[in-house]
Amino acid sequence: MEHENRVVAALEHGQPPLLSKTTTSNPFFHTSSATEEGSLTILHLRRDNLVPVTLRRTADDGYAEGAVTNTRFGSFPHSTLIGLEWGSQVRASRVDTGSRGRKGKAAKQQDASIQIDNRLPTPDPQHDISNGCHTAAEEIGQPTRSTAVDAGSGFIHLLPPTPEAWTASLDHRTQVVYTADYSYVLQRLRVRPGSRMIEAGAGSGSFTHAAARAVFSGFPEDSHVGELKQVGKVYSYEFNVSRVGTLREEISAHGMDEIVQLTFRDVCERGFLFPIGFDTTPHAEAIFLDLPKPWEALRHLTRSSTPSESALNPDVPVHLCTFSPCIEQVMATTAYLRKNGWTEIEMIEVQNHRIDVRREQVGLKNEGLRGVNASAATVEEAVARLREKGGPWRHIQSKAERLEKLRKEAEERKLYKEGNLVHRTEPEVKTHTSYLVFAVLPVDFTDGDEEACMQQWSVDDIMKVEKPPTNGVK
Amino acid sequence: MTSALSYIKPNTWLFLRLPSKSLKILEIKPNTIIDAGKLGSFPSNLLLGRPYYYTYEILEKREDEACSRLRRVPPSELNAEIVNEDATPNESRGEPTTPSGVPVAFEMTEDIAVETKTNRLTVDDANRQALSQAEIEEMKRSTAGKEIIEKILANHSGLDEKTVFSRAKYLLRKRNKYLRRFMALPMDIGNIITYITEKEPHRILDIREEALGLVCAWSNAHVTSVELDNNDTEASSARSGRWLVVDETGGLLVAALAERMGILHKTELPSEGKAEPTTYGTEAHDTSDNNDGGVSLRPETAESTGAERSIANGTPKTEHVHRDFPTPAHGNTITLLHPAVQPNISILKYFGYDSNTPDPAHPMHTHLKSLSWLQLLHPEEDPTYREPEVVPEAQLTKWKSGKRGTYWKKRRRWERCKNIVDEAREGGFDGLVIASNMDPATILPHAVPLLRGGGELVIYSPTIEPLVQLMDLYSKERRTAYINLLAKGEMPSTEDFPVDPRLLLAPTLQTSRVREWQVLPGRTHPMMTGRGGSEGYVMTARRVIPLEGGVEARGNFSAKRKRTDTADATSAP
Ligand SMILES: C[S@@+](CC[C@H](N)C(=O)[O-])C[C@H]1O[C@@H](n2cnc3c(N)ncnc32)[C@H](O)[C@@H]1O
Repeated sequence: MEHENRVVAALEHGQPPLLSKTTTSNPFFHTSSATEEGSLTILHLRRDNLVPVTLRRTADDGYAEGAVTNTRFGSFPHSTLIGLEWGSQVRASRVDTGSRGRKGKAAKQQDASIQIDNRLPTPDPQHDISNGCHTAAEEIGQPTRSTAVDAGSGFIHLLPPTPEAWTASLDHRTQVVYTADYSYVLQRLRVRPGSRMIEAGAGSGSFTHAAARAVFSGFPEDSHVGELKQVGKVYSYEFNVSRVGTLREEISAHGMDEIVQLTFRDVCERGFLFPIGFDTTPHAEAIFLDLPKPWEALRHLTRSSTPSESALNPDVPVHLCTFSPCIEQVMATTAYLRKNGWTEIEMIEVQNHRIDVRREQVGLKNEGLRGVNASAATVEEAVARLREKGGPWRHIQSKAERLEKLRKEAEERKLYKEGNLVHRTEPEVKTHTSYLVFAVLPVDFTDGDEEACMQQWSVDDIMKVEKPPTNGVK
Repeated sequence: MTSALSYIKPNTWLFLRLPSKSLKILEIKPNTIIDAGKLGSFPSNLLLGRPYYYTYEILEKREDEACSRLRRVPPSELNAEIVNEDATPNESRGEPTTPSGVPVAFEMTEDIAVETKTNRLTVDDANRQALSQAEIEEMKRSTAGKEIIEKILANHSGLDEKTVFSRAKYLLRKRNKYLRRFMALPMDIGNIITYITEKEPHRILDIREEALGLVCAWSNAHVTSVELDNNDTEASSARSGRWLVVDETGGLLVAALAERMGILHKTELPSEGKAEPTTYGTEAHDTSDNNDGGVSLRPETAESTGAERSIANGTPKTEHVHRDFPTPAHGNTITLLHPAVQPNISILKYFGYDSNTPDPAHPMHTHLKSLSWLQLLHPEEDPTYREPEVVPEAQLTKWKSGKRGTYWKKRRRWERCKNIVDEAREGGFDGLVIASNMDPATILPHAVPLLRGGGELVIYSPTIEPLVQLMDLYSKERRTAYINLLAKGEMPSTEDFPVDPRLLLAPTLQTSRVREWQVLPGRTHPMMTGRGGSEGYVMTARRVIPLEGGVEARGNFSAKRKRTDTADATSAP
């Protein structure tokens, strides 16, 4: 039995985080002055096509250039990516992807950093190129690494990681909460640096990263943090073992071990407390529930006269958000909340869309050009063309001649500032993500507390009928 | 986090939400009477120390007392009112369907099946309320809200004809009107937005909470932990966590970003015990002018480690931070660019920071740096930036202390200004966040180059047009044309290219809008009305470092593109 308990605890908590100074190099919260070996880097291929890569000097896979990331915009030896200013645009290199030998397979399992490979559906780089990117970065030293040669075309940009970029780059282990929703949720939950919050389930960790940034208030070992200030922390829960595994690796790799505590657990069944350990309760002041039956998890999120038995901070109002796609879930959740002393219960949905901006070229002079509308732009233009067609000169210019003339003219035209500047909603819109239920659980306030206030803030004097100064309301 | 947002503390700002849903703002002082207009008045002491997010009922004033007392209404009572009275079916358009698979927690009340009255027979007539307005007024003076409502209901002859649905609605309306209740809400960004939006939304450029949430997320503003050796102040790590802000929302944007950076709220440090947390009057620890004895050249300039090591919430160790012109912090800071001589950041006063009478212990005192556009672009034309003459120490000692104080003050003012201006002009900011009345196309040519590579640009605009025009200045086509000109060795004209279109990556325009729902058993639907006005638009992009010369795009779409001449050179992202 006791053994079982320990097993559960071990499973739930995973490896204890290494308490090393390396955790301070958190690429999300502190940007180095230039890309370095080991930097988590977002390769920006194009909008909505972002690939996170950890830069390495060395690798196997037989590339003469060392570690190489192949994308559909070309190949990028990491040697060409290290030591650059963040935001740099980088040209692709000529990399011989055909003749390299496949070696060093044995070393593969050893290396914990093959994160990128994990994220890919197929491990064969030949295929991956079409669907994004592949990094061959495993083994040790490549003594005769050759210098990369400019490929002549293709480029990417190197960006420091942010929760937004991370979210955009996630493959979909689960449905994820996107920026439009989580930005609003965190704003409404009043999550601030130093806050302690609960999140369940963690899923792919999109929300987790944004929440970690929001609560981050310094690392526990930072001298200034000391006892003076609460260190912000995200208590995250997930009951799918493989998601827990992947996310734990990411949390560690991102230097967030001390900010995010991910627990492997079914929270509906077992709640949020930690029976074993130093910190037995999250003492949370904000809660985000993204799981199918939030009301079942909420049963474990109540106040208690014994603070150590409650997952909630007894001294602050607790802000809650549940995130549910279906209206029935919302009704069950709100019914639960109303019965259990929550207040400010409100349900909303966030409707977000992106807007395309472009110049629309309308007019006969655009005939034969690409991506334009070559119909008449004005009545005058239409009439002029009709005259031309019906008039005595109609044979003077053949269509081919006309097009050739227009093409020549177009080269001189400043198309980027001609035409109508228009905007419209992007072709694909998420019309429903989920319903967001918000609520607040006020602090418990007992008769004893009220009495204490009456003592401290007596009204005996002021209630006497002659008038004291008024405190006007604006 | 801080109990200041849990219990009502003296001398803080807070909101009362009235039954009409509108917010009243007040700064609560001990031993005063709070006059809540029609609702009545009550002693501030009855709110002090009490918790936020509770509803308080203003009780009938007792004969022998100057004003009313309060009753704290437990949430269970409020919820019971909502649920029990209102657990009724929807009015029309078919019966509500019972969702399957819904757990017991969600119960449709039994009367759903029974209640099938419709509104068909209801007569809409104000006279059906048998009590006259005068009678109601009279009652209001003599009876508590609940009783009034009961009386009104009893006297409403048509009430039985109403469906349970509309009766509930009627009840709700009456309750809101006659119950003398309010909820106490803490001062926070969300409530401020609600409050200002109701009255003068233009003051905050009509920004909605959802738009502000987007802005803050995309800005990537967060706490940057600045750990320094004392002699390491020039290292780049010391300079990190700097956001450049153009804010014409009266300081709302600054406040929201500051909150993310952990510098908006003054931390309660019980051990420091310096006066009341909110004493920012004149009497407390003013170290600026009374340095009579000090004759060294820098009597007490804040090279003390306090200012530098202070990060995040940590306020500088106050002894050496000047009230008037403190040495600005290096990292985890907001640099505010303003169009007038002084910035308008009046909203910060609600968070205990008033730039006219600053509290040296507030983190904003050293972590907010402001400069005008003139100071940024033409510092030499700004008198504050000009160094005041240096007086030799020997001469100084002969001066009267008052004169010497003025001298040091001038020097400090200049030092601070120079420090801020020089540092801003050096650039390297992590983010640039704009909510301004000015045309962004005139801001960006100056401000974008000040961003570090990979830094975030976020622009909010209440209307879309300025951002559409801006997006156009960074269009793919314009960028291509720009690069082609450079490749030909020509200088692109500022008329065609007001901004360098190469400096931003993936500019994106978006808008968010929340839709609120009513959720009640059997009557769940989106709210029928909401606030109109500006939608609010947000443009985001990241600053990049372009390669010199043209770069040719590549990708699986390149096959489709026959003519890969230089005109296509830059199209990828
Ligand atoms: C939609 S995903 C969450 C996505 C996440 N919010 C994100 O932004 O990436 C829901 C997750 O909750 C987990 N989950 C569902 N019920 C759970 C429970 N009772 N306890 C713990 N995790 C649970 C699921 O395994 C799943 O990974």
